[in-house]
Amino acid sequence: MDISAALSPPLRRPPLPAPPGYWRLAAGHYSVLLHRRGLFSALLLSVLLLLCSGISLSAGSTSLSVQQALLAAVGIGSKMHLFLIQELRLPRLLAAALTGIAFGVGGCLLQTLARNRLATPGVIGIDDGATAFAVASIVAVPTSLAPSYLALTGAATATALAFGLGGGAGARGYRFIVVGLGIGALFGAVTNLMLARTDIDSANQAYPWTVGSLNARPEEAVLMLAVGLLLCLPVAKYLAGRLALMRFSDAVACGLGVRLAMTRILVLTVTVVITALAVAVAGPVGLVALMAPELARYLCGQQGVPVLNAGLAGALIMILADLVGRTVLAPIEIPVGVITAVVGGPYLLWILLRRPHRSGQ
Amino acid sequence: MPVTSIVSARRQRSLLTFCSAWLALLAVTVVASLLMGAGQVSPARALAVLTGNQDHDARFVVYELRGQRTLLAIIVGMALGAAGTLLQSATRNPLAEPGLLGVSAGASFAVVLAISLGASAATVHFSVAIIGAMVGCLLVLLVTQVRYVGDDPVRLVLAGAAFSAMLGAITTLMLLFDQRSADEIRFWVIGTLAGRSSVALWWSPPGILLALALMTLLVRPLAALALGEHIATGLGHHPRLIRLLTLLIVAVLVGIATAVAGPIAFIGLIVPFVARAQTGSDIRRTLWLSLLIGPTLLLLADVLSRLAVKPYELPIGVITAMIGAPVLVAVVRSRRLPTL
Repeated sequence: MDISAALSPPLRRPPLPAPPGYWRLAAGHYSVLLHRRGLFSALLLSVLLLLCSGISLSAGSTSLSVQQALLAAVGIGSKMHLFLIQELRLPRLLAAALTGIAFGVGGCLLQTLARNRLATPGVIGIDDGATAFAVASIVAVPTSLAPSYLALTGAATATALAFGLGGGAGARGYRFIVVGLGIGALFGAVTNLMLARTDIDSANQAYPWTVGSLNARPEEAVLMLAVGLLLCLPVAKYLAGRLALMRFSDAVACGLGVRLAMTRILVLTVTVVITALAVAVAGPVGLVALMAPELARYLCGQQGVPVLNAGLAGALIMILADLVGRTVLAPIEIPVGVITAVVGGPYLLWILLRRPHRSGQ
Repeated sequence: MPVTSIVSARRQRSLLTFCSAWLALLAVTVVASLLMGAGQVSPARALAVLTGNQDHDARFVVYELRGQRTLLAIIVGMALGAAGTLLQSATRNPLAEPGLLGVSAGASFAVVLAISLGASAATVHFSVAIIGAMVGCLLVLLVTQVRYVGDDPVRLVLAGAAFSAMLGAITTLMLLFDQRSADEIRFWVIGTLAGRSSVALWWSPPGILLALALMTLLVRPLAALALGEHIATGLGHHPRLIRLLTLLIVAVLVGIATAVAGPIAFIGLIVPFVARAQTGSDIRRTLWLSLLIGPTLLLLADVLSRLAVKPYELPIGVITAMIGAPVLVAVVRSRRLPTL
């Protein structure tokens, strides 16, 4: 009896129970853990996002009912409605959502990498670098596509300078950020220099890039941003897992099998690319990158690196800010960058003045 | 002769050397400022006027236009240099700078607000700018009292940057409503010395001189404060009172400077940095040196701003940012921030 029992094939071990707060989804040998709270907050953010999108489509100088707006978006309605929605509001909504996602994801990645919640692309001068180069492209090489490419170059330059001079991200924290601040000031001065030199027409054309606006953005730039996000988001999601391990000390992360240098370079590349493409669309609306990850972390709890939720939160903030800017003082339109700065400034101060958490996370 | 007095004698001599060197440099920049840019008068013609030629047009350009502007630059430079040194000493923070901490931004914002509410008199601009600077200084004082922030120079700068960015956004917002005064406001948003009214010339020197005279009373207490609060108290000073008075004087200096030239950042950072590099961190030396370095640097920046993009003129704030940003990076990068 005993012998036959011993010879029988070993029973398959029952799967480990999912850790608290997670769901385990299994199919055969493969399984994934789903963070319950993260999932719920993604759902919540998506619902809010849809709601705001609907309102944003319907609100404006000619206000439609939400139903009319949605029908027009899929091609049903009067000619005027179709033009209003499909030519004006839908592209703008899309631009807002895409730039919001880009800023949110970029901010979340960089904050986690630098272990400092103030280290967002806007604060360390990446936005200013991209802006300076984008303005240069309007003043010197006037084409519609050039700003995107040049913004990319500018963002890369600013990042390289900030990290090179600041001695890399990591434990040095605030020092690196103030170096970025100086670089941002330098690029800002260069932008002003260029605007002072050119004729008033070019200067007006370049103006949206200096405040951050979603009014009549170039379609090519939006398209490039969409393609860039499509390529970068999966990478960002993958990197989030690596970054979650890098929150421990370098030695521990190394022991867990994270290739530190490689991950850092990839994170920086992804951040620079999506931030620059977003700046090429909307100008420097950097404070979204500060607020969105914070909102996402608040909703998701402190575990993990909520990259995608930060993207959703960024899109939500962008769409809301644009909606407010378009409607509150109509017919005057407030640039979206001004709205986020008015809201984001006090928020930044609050982060600085309250008691800091451990290692900024 | 005791060792300390020998050392101090040597220091005194070196301070004297540096002072005369900067004075000479200042004289050179004054002449350069009179000879170059701002008005269609060539350097050779301007030189002829300076040596006694009775060329009326050129006389007007050199003495009225460039002369006034040079005088304003000297006044503003002294004010900003001294304000930077005082603020750094009072907050014991080598990065404290009226421009970076939002004091200048507060002053210019107050003026923009006043203009958009309908004020147009230059005297109103002066008083409003000073009040704005005072509020800005008060905020700085409050922020330095917050734990974790007051001790961390770099954090304080970030807070100032956030504050300035917010004020800038609100200013843009006000500009959207009021296109009419946009031109008038634009000057208060970016610093420049071009085309200032003669009212500024009448009002600013007495105010600045008064503030500088009061400042001399604070030098010794501030030097004591540099030894630490306990020691300063033990020496019979009142740290809180000293800080408050210092910030008051900084507010007056920055307020007047902003009323004259708009917000100019980074001068108050570079000047004490250079002064400390030459004579050490004792405020009894750096303050006097900064009164000479400030005007020299500002005049230099002003001359550059006239020559850089001829025939246009560049706002001087752009030039100071281009000089100052690398200095900021250098200060932050230096292995240990100099403690004050």
